[in-house]
Amino acid sequence: MNRVNMATVASNYNPREIDNTADVPGRRAQLVTGNQTYSSITNMVCRVAEDPQPLLWYVLFGFSSLIAVMFLSLIGYLILNGVGIWGNMNPVFWAWPIVNFVFWVGIAHAGTLISAILFLFRQNWRTSINRASEAMTIFAVVCAGIYPGIHVGRAWLAFWLLPYPSLNLWMWPQFRSPLLWDVFAVGTYASTSLVFWYMGMIPDIATYRDRSKSPLRRMVYGLLCLGWTGSSRHWLVYEKAYTLLAALAAPLVLSVHTVVSFDFAVSQVAGWHTTIFPPYFVAGAIFSGFAMVVTLLVPSRAIYKLENLITLRHLENMNKIILATGTLVGLAYATEAYIAWYSMNQYEGFTFLNRQFGPYWWAYWTMVSCNVISPQLFWFKKLRTSLFWMVVICVFVNIGMWFERFVITVTSLSRDFLPSSWGYFRPTMYDGLMLFGSFGIFMSLYLLFCRFLPIIAMSEVKGILSIENHAAHAHDDSHGQSH
Amino acid sequence: MSDHKSRKSNDTKMPKAFGWMAEYADEEDLLVAARKVRDSGYTQTDAFTPFPVHGIDEALGIKPTILPFIVLCAGITGLITALLMQWWTNGVDYKYLISAKPFGITPASIPVAFELTILFSAFTSFFGMIFLNQLPRFSNPVFTNPRFDRVTDDRFFLYVNAADKYYNRESVKELLADTHPDSLDEVLDDSTPSTLPRPIVLGALLLVLAGLIPAMIVLNMRASFSNLPRWHVFFDMDFQPKKKPQQTTTIFADGRSMRPQVKGTVGRGQLTEQDPFYLGYDPSKLSADDASTTVKYVSTNANQDSASQVQASTAVQSMPAQSPPPQGAPAPTPALKLPWVDKLPESIVEASNIEANMKLGKVKFETYCSACHGYGGFGDGLVHKRADSLAQGYWTPPTSMHIERVRKQPVGQIFHTITKGQGKMASYASALNPKERWAIVLYVKALQRSRNADIEDVPVDSRSSLDNELNVEPTK
Ligand code: HEC
Repeated sequence: MNRVNMATVASNYNPREIDNTADVPGRRAQLVTGNQTYSSITNMVCRVAEDPQPLLWYVLFGFSSLIAVMFLSLIGYLILNGVGIWGNMNPVFWAWPIVNFVFWVGIAHAGTLISAILFLFRQNWRTSINRASEAMTIFAVVCAGIYPGIHVGRAWLAFWLLPYPSLNLWMWPQFRSPLLWDVFAVGTYASTSLVFWYMGMIPDIATYRDRSKSPLRRMVYGLLCLGWTGSSRHWLVYEKAYTLLAALAAPLVLSVHTVVSFDFAVSQVAGWHTTIFPPYFVAGAIFSGFAMVVTLLVPSRAIYKLENLITLRHLENMNKIILATGTLVGLAYATEAYIAWYSMNQYEGFTFLNRQFGPYWWAYWTMVSCNVISPQLFWFKKLRTSLFWMVVICVFVNIGMWFERFVITVTSLSRDFLPSSWGYFRPTMYDGLMLFGSFGIFMSLYLLFCRFLPIIAMSEVKGILSIENHAAHAHDDSHGQSH
Repeated sequence: MSDHKSRKSNDTKMPKAFGWMAEYADEEDLLVAARKVRDSGYTQTDAFTPFPVHGIDEALGIKPTILPFIVLCAGITGLITALLMQWWTNGVDYKYLISAKPFGITPASIPVAFELTILFSAFTSFFGMIFLNQLPRFSNPVFTNPRFDRVTDDRFFLYVNAADKYYNRESVKELLADTHPDSLDEVLDDSTPSTLPRPIVLGALLLVLAGLIPAMIVLNMRASFSNLPRWHVFFDMDFQPKKKPQQTTTIFADGRSMRPQVKGTVGRGQLTEQDPFYLGYDPSKLSADDASTTVKYVSTNANQDSASQVQASTAVQSMPAQSPPPQGAPAPTPALKLPWVDKLPESIVEASNIEANMKLGKVKFETYCSACHGYGGFGDGLVHKRADSLAQGYWTPPTSMHIERVRKQPVGQIFHTITKGQGKMASYASALNPKERWAIVLYVKALQRSRNADIEDVPVDSRSSLDNELNVEPTK
C-alpha cells in the first residue's frame, strides 16, 4: 500500500508558502496545491473519516446534539400545547417560523448552485467544495422543512399539503396558492438535491469501501455505493446523468427561492406585493448560502488539514461571489426604495418609511449594515484572503440575511392598511430557542457527515488534477517545441 | 451477465476465469493499452478507473448512452402529470372558485408544472443511471483481485472479458503484457456468496413485515364497524375546556354558567325589545300591569282566550267587509290587553316632519295595505274583491279601518298589528321599518278621521261650500 502517512501530508502543507490567489495573466493558477497525486488526495480525504476524530469533534458534536435534542423536545412541547407558545399573534401570524424557514431555504441554495451552476459553467474550482456544500444544502433544507411543518398548527396533518384527497372531505389542495407551489418547489428541491448529493458520493463511498479494514464497514459502504467498480462504461452513463442532474438542478435552484418569494409577492400586503421579489430573493439566497459555506469550510479545512484541497483561492472565489450577490441585494433594497417613491402608492411609501424609521428601525438598519456594508469589505484583497475576517464577515452576512426575512415578514404584517389593526410583534422564549435549536440539528448532521461520508469529491478532484497535469504537459511540450 | 458461459467452458474443479485484468499507474498508459485492445477487435472490454478518464469511451469504443432520451420522456411525463393533476383536482373533481378565476390550466399552474417536470427528470436521471449500469451489483468477479482495491484510489485497470467472441486466454494475456502493465492477473471466480447474508435478509424481511402492521390495523379499522366511541389520537377540537349554555359551574355563586345581564347595559339588538318605538307598547309597564297578559302575549295559542279568538275569526269568515256584523255573532277578535302607546312618537308628529311622514304613510299604505284594505281603508281592496268573487269559504275579509273597534284602537295597537300581524293578516315588519310603520299609522288615523268627520272638523269658512257641493250631511 502506497499510503502517504501523516508526516508526508503535513510536510506538504504550508499554506503561507503557496499563494494560489495571485493571478498571473496567461496562466491558470493551481486549484490544488502541494504537488498532489491521486493517492495523496485519497489519503487526505479518507483520513477525515478513518482517523479517530479530534477531541474538538466530540465536544462540538456533544454540544450540537444536545441542542438538537432540545429542539426536538420543544417541537414535542409545541405539538402538545399548540402554536400559542410562540409570539405569533394578531396581526403578525407569520412570524419567526416563516422567517426561519426562508432563512434556511436561502442557505440551502449555495450547495446546488455550486454543484450545478458552477458545473455547467465549467468552474473547476467547485470540485473541492461542492460535496460539503451539497451536504449543507440537504441539512439546511431539513431545518427549513421543519418550520412550515410545525407552523401549520396540527403538525400531524401536515401531509394534507400533498395532493391527497383529505379525509372525509375528499378535498384537494388548492393549486392556485403560492403556499402549495412552495410545497412542490421545496419538496422537489430537497429530493433532487438529495439524489444529486448521493449520486455524487457513490464513487467516493466506493473508495471508502475499498480502504475499510473492518468487514462491517466494508459491507455498509459497499451497500451504500451499490457495488461501484469504476467501470468506464458505468462512468459514461454516470457522467451523463450527472450533467443532466446539473442541468435540471440549475433552473430548479433558481425556481425555489422564486417560489418562496411568491409566498409574499403574490399577496397584496404592501412591501410584499412587488415583482422584484424573485430575483431579489434568489440573490439573497446565494449570498447567505455562500456565507454559510465559507463559515463552515474555514474551520473544517483547518481541523481536517484540507488546506491543500480547499485552498485560499477557493475561499477567495466564494468571497467574490458573496461580494457580488451582496451588492445585488443592496441594489434590490435601493430599487425597493425607489419604487416606493416612484409608484406614488401611499401604502408602499408608508411601508418603506415604516421599515426604516418605524418601530422596527433597528432590524432594518441591522439588515442594511450586515448585508450591504459588510460584504463591501471584500473589495480589499487583504480581507478577502484573511481567514479570520472572512468568517467574521460571513457570520455578519448570515445575521443580516436573517434580519432581512424578519424585516420583510414582520414589518409589513404588523402595520398593514388598517391602522386600527396595527400591532407590535414580540417573540417568546420558545421562538428564540427554536431558532437556536435548528442550528443544533444542522451542526449535528454536518458533523456526522464529516465523520462518516467523503466530505470532498475525490473522484472529481482527481479528474481535475488529471486535466491540469495534462494541460501542464501539453504546455511544456509546446514550450519545448517552439524553442 | 455472460458469466455462466465461461463457467461451463472451464474445468469444474479449477476456479472459473472471467478474463484478464491489467493494471496501470497512469491514465495515459491505460488509454494507449485500451486503443490497442480495441484495434485488436475485442469488444467485451472495460476499463476501471478512479475518475472518468477523458477519451476512454473513444479508446474502448463505448457507445453513447440513451439516458438523455429517457430523461426527456420523463420530463414530458412530469409536465403532463402536473397539468392534468391541477386541471382535474381543482377544475373537475373539486372545483375551487378563487376570485372568479378560470378553472383548468392557468398561469398559476406553471410553478407546479415546472417543479414536477424537474422532479420526474431528476429522479429518472438517477434511477436511469442505476438501471442502465445494472446497479446495485454486490457480487462482482473483478473484486477477487486484491490489487483491485486501488481502483478507487489511484490505479487504472483494463479488463478483457472471457465472453468476447475472439477471446483466447493466451493471446489476450500476450496482448496485455505487451502494453507494459504494472500487473497482469486473471480474474477468477468470486468465492464469496453472491447473495446477501442470511441474517440481513431475514432482518430486512422482518422489518418490512413489522412496518406493515400499522397499515393493516388502519385498513382493518376503516373497513369494519364499531360501536365504541371514536378513538382520538389527537383531540383536534373535539374536546375543549369551555362551558356551554345551561351548564353548571362552580365558578359563580349561583352555579350557572350563563350570566345575567349587567345592570345598566344594553345588549346587541336589545333596544328593539325594550323601546316602545319598536313595539307599540311600553314593556316597562308590562310586568307591573298584569302578569297573565304577559303570558297571553308570549304564547297566544296556549289558553282559552286564544281559542275564542280562533272561533271569532271563523265566525267572521266570508262576511263582506262593509256589512255590519251579524246579530248575535260572537264578539270579534278580543283585543290584546297590552300597555299600548296612545300617542304617536314625537319624531313622527313633529311639526317639521309631519307633512313628509303623512306622505310617506300614504305611499306605504297604498303600496302595502291597499291591496287588501282598499285605498279608503274599507276592506274593499282588489285582493279581497277577487277572493270574494271566487266565494271561497276560507277567505277572511280584511277588517275595515272604519269600524268602531278599530277606530278606537290606540296608535300603538295598529303599529303592533303591522309589526306582528293580526289573525289572518301577516306581519309587515320585514317590508317596513319602524318609522314607515308609524307613518302608516299616522295615515290610517287621518283616513279614519276623514271618513268619520264631523262638521266641526271642517274649517268654518269652508262649511258652506261643503253644503253646496254634497248636499248631504257628513256621516257621523
Ligand atoms: C293580504 C291582505 C292584507 C294586507 C296587504 C293588509 N291587511 Fe290588514 N288585515 C287583513 C285581514 C285579512 C285582516 C283581518 C284579520 C283577522 O282578524 O283575522 C286584517 C286586519 C287589519 C287590522 C285590524 C286588526 C284588528 O285589530 O282586528 C288592521 C288595523 C290592519 N289590518 C291594518 C293593515 C295595514 C296598516 C296594512 C298595511 C301595512 C295591512 N293591514 C295590510 C288583510 C290584509
